[in-house]
Amino acid sequence: MKSFLLPHIFKRIGWFIMIPSMILGIVHLILPDLISSIQITTYGYFGNNFLQGEIKPPVRFGRISLIPNMVGLLLLLGGIMLMFSKEKKEDEYINQIRLRSFHSSVFINYGILFFCILFFHHLSFFYVMILNLYTIIIIYVFRFHYLIRKNLIDINE
Amino acid sequence: MNNKIKVERAVNNLTQEQLAEKVSVTRQTINAIELKKFVPSTVLALKICKVFNKRVDEVFILEEEDL
Repeated sequence: MKSFLLPHIFKRIGWFIMIPSMILGIVHLILPDLISSIQITTYGYFGNNFLQGEIKPPVRFGRISLIPNMVGLLLLLGGIMLMFSKEKKEDEYINQIRLRSFHSSVFINYGILFFCILFFHHLSFFYVMILNLYTIIIIYVFRFHYLIRKNLIDINE
Repeated sequence: MNNKIKVERAVNNLTQEQLAEKVSVTRQTINAIELKKFVPSTVLALKICKVFNKRVDEVFILEEEDL
């Protein structure tokens, strides 16, 4: 079974992007004013609810905070590189571990979301949604590397 | 599914690493198959049997729960 995967070097690049952007993201969540001050002008949708079909869509130039948006993009980029890059030696057992890790990360992700819909309300739910964007990636990366490491330990025992 | 890879390796005087190299997989994969943690694909099963010069049903054996 052939599946699309990036070369192994992207795993290292992924870690290199993911770790600093995660730290920056956590700092932003704890101290939002500290790094939100840098603003840039960009073009895009600045409306409140695109599903309600505004007659004149508010697509225009506007000001946004640079760091949170950049962190969001870098987390995605680094996360995708980590998730979709090959191991040093790729075989069908690694593929199975990959599939198992995807399965548990999606399952746990929606379990967390279910719990949060029940118990988090108003603005706190907005923060939950932001974190929930990345939980699939984070759980997958932890689970996959844990299983790989566990197998190596089993072999050496 | 049970298998006799460990026995066949001993008969053929092969380490997990050597067998893994012959069938182009990692040592982890051979170890997982021997411990019954992973059922190999038909292609890999055939490649392993080719190394041992045995038929598939001589190396891989169905168990009660597979039937």
